[in-house]
This record gives sequence, structure tokens and C-alpha cells, in this order.
Amino acid sequence: MKIAEALQLFLWLIPDALYMFELLLQKINEKVPITPEESAVCKTFFIPKKLRKKQYLLQEGDVCKYVAFVEKGMLRSYTVDDKGTEHIMQFAFEGWWLSDQFSFLTAEPSVYNIDALEDCELLLLTKPAEEEMLVRVPKLERYFRLLLQNSLIAIQRRLVSSLSHTAEEKYRQLLASCPGIAQRVPQHMMASYLGITPETLSRLRNPKNRKV
Amino acid sequence: MAAQKTIAIIGATGKMGGAIAKGLVNGPNRLLLFGNNQEKLSGLLSALKETKRDTDAEIIGCSVDASWEADIIIAAVPYAAEATLAEQIRAVATGKIVISISNPLSADFCRLVTEPGTSAGEQLQELLPHARVVKAFSTNFSAAFNHTDVSGYKLDAFIAGNDDEALLEVAELITEVGFNPVIAGDLTFSRTLENMTLLLINANIRHGYKGQAGWKILHN
Repeated sequence: MKIAEALQLFLWLIPDALYMFELLLQKINEKVPITPEESAVCKTFFIPKKLRKKQYLLQEGDVCKYVAFVEKGMLRSYTVDDKGTEHIMQFAFEGWWLSDQFSFLTAEPSVYNIDALEDCELLLLTKPAEEEMLVRVPKLERYFRLLLQNSLIAIQRRLVSSLSHTAEEKYRQLLASCPGIAQRVPQHMMASYLGITPETLSRLRNPKNRKV
Repeated sequence: MAAQKTIAIIGATGKMGGAIAKGLVNGPNRLLLFGNNQEKLSGLLSALKETKRDTDAEIIGCSVDASWEADIIIAAVPYAAEATLAEQIRAVATGKIVISISNPLSADFCRLVTEPGTSAGEQLQELLPHARVVKAFSTNFSAAFNHTDVSGYKLDAFIAGNDDEALLEVAELITEVGFNPVIAGDLTFSRTLENMTLLLINANIRHGYKGQAGWKILHN
């Protein structure tokens, strides 16, 4: 048997042990160290879900039932205006969380769409599962508080940036905060996220136009 | 419009698996078909596309991958194969609806092989403690999927499970297939449902219904 085949068989025999929760547990442990027993409890609350490129996790008008953790791939959330133009709110790369918190917490229909920009492996958490998990592993309250804190800071920064920064400043900031984004996200989507036209972005990306 | 559901049918080349797949193309579903006979699977896929040209269905070569991608997993396998399947898909079935369709019948169809205090549905739930097991389609003959109206009545399809939301979702699938969904109760009702099928099968053999028969509760 070739090594690759043997490895595949090994992974198939223990699908949960290694790769499905690897990044999630790593991210949790970076902020809040948890025991192997607590990790095992955590795993029983997440729905493992593969999503193919272009498939939806959430569609406008539906209630957002999950918060999603990205183990592999990339998601985006966006709205569509009356003219049919997409406005991207957020990208979520490996190790990031994404949901519509308002819809998730209130069970009101969402105004967002969430879809996969690449084939994804996700871990989904429903509200009841989250609540029960926090009772069983109270340490995770701290983890989720830190997540919300960071998310609030990110949103405030994005707001300031969109109100007061130039297109170039916004673009540089995005590159600094998400290294590698330019290689993975199409240019028109980055423009949509920044609230500028694709033409403006194209001009900014041209080295000839770069201010040093 | 209801959001699309991805449904894995494990055992899609069986009579029941095939009949369920053909019924589910009526809804906004994406079907992932897994079975042991590739030729039959291709035949089923062509038949589905013939029924509905824009059918969103595909053959998946691995039951674990199909279940991992799915929102709902249909274990369209015989009772004897359920434990092995459960072992394989356990890690990817957490939080998902798993539909148990099997009837634990003896080889001569004369009795159930499960002990009186349990059922195939409950045993599958024990094997998949973090999934939401729903007993469904077990009281319906595969031949009745094409003729869900009998003697002017829409046949019932009984469902049992412990998760109310899961029961409603499965009831929706049953409506798409063409039966009238009847929620029987929690998963312990699987015992009754599996016995009802034992009776139906024996009546079918004895009286020659040719599978064109099923349960119907008449009520006002």
C-alpha cells in the first residue's frame, strides 16, 4: 500500500480525531486552554458541514441558525441592494467565525447572504447547542467574550475606515490585516468590501500609481 | 422560498433508497447518492434527471463524505447494516437529522428480530448519540411511492423522533415525496411503527396487494 493510501485509510478510520476540529481546538486553546476531556465535550456540539464553492450557508430572508467556524476554505457575508449590487460585509478565512449575530440572537429573518468563495469545511453551532456547551464547559464563556470583543473592535475600525479613510488607506489596511487576501479574493469582491469601484481598486493595485 | 437542503441517501440503489430519491426531487433538495452498485447509481441519476431536468443530484463515492456534506442523512440500508454505517458516519452526523427507514424483520418476515423493549430506530439513536434520529418511510412500501393515493386516500407516512424541529423537517420531506406525514410521537414509537410494517408485509403477502397498499388513519 502506498503511503498516501495508508494515510488516507488512517484518517478515514478516525475522521473526528485529527483534521475535523484541528483548527478550532487550536484557536480555542490559544485564548483559553482546555483539557482533552473538555475538547471531547466540545466536539459533540458542532455540526461538521462541507459546503461547496458558491453554495449558500444563509440566504436573505431566512433566519440565521448557525455561527460558522471555518476549518478550511473561505466564506463571505454580503447584502444586495435594490439595484442588485452586492455589498460585502465580511470575509472569513480559516480560523475565523462568521454569522449574522442579529438574526442568530433574535431569530428574525436575516438581511445578509453567506456563501462559500471556496470549497469549505465548516463547524456549525446552533443557539441551543452553544448554550448547552457553555454550561458544560464554562471556560468557553471567556473564549466567546474575547471573540465578541475582537469583533466589536474590528467593526469599529471598519466604520472609522469607511467614514474617514481614502480608498488607498482602506486598501492598504485590508492588505495589512488579511495578508494573502489579494491572492484568494477576486478584485471586484475586494472593491465591494472596500466600498470603492473595481476601477479605483485596479488603479491602486497598479505599481505605477502607487504613492511611496 | 425554502432554503435548499442537502440530503445524503446512503443505500440509494436499494428499492427504498431509489424510491425516496425519486420522491425527493420534487422538493428544493440537493441529493448526494451513495450505493455499492455504480451502474445502478448512474441509472438512478439518469432517471432523476429525466423526471426533473434541473435536478441537483450527484453520485458520491464515499458514505462519510456524503454524510459530511449533508444536512440530512437517510440511512436507506437494511437493519443488519445500520450498526456498521453508524460507526462510519458517527463523527460527521453530530447535530444532523439521520432518518432510519429500516424494519428489523426476520428472514421469513414472521417476526421482528429486536427485543420487545427497543426498536431499530432507538438502537440507531444509541449508536449516534449526538445525531437527531427520526424514524420515517419505514411503514411505506417502495412500490407505493409511485402511487401514494390508494382507493381515493393519500397514504400516511408515520414518523417518530425525539426532536420536534427534526420531526417537522422530515414531515416536510414526506409531503414532497407525496405521502401524508403523521407524527406518531417520540422515538419509542418506532417499536409500534416497525410492528405495523411487520403486519403490513404479512397482509401484503397473504392477500396479494402487490405492494400497492399502506396505512391510513381515517378521521374527521
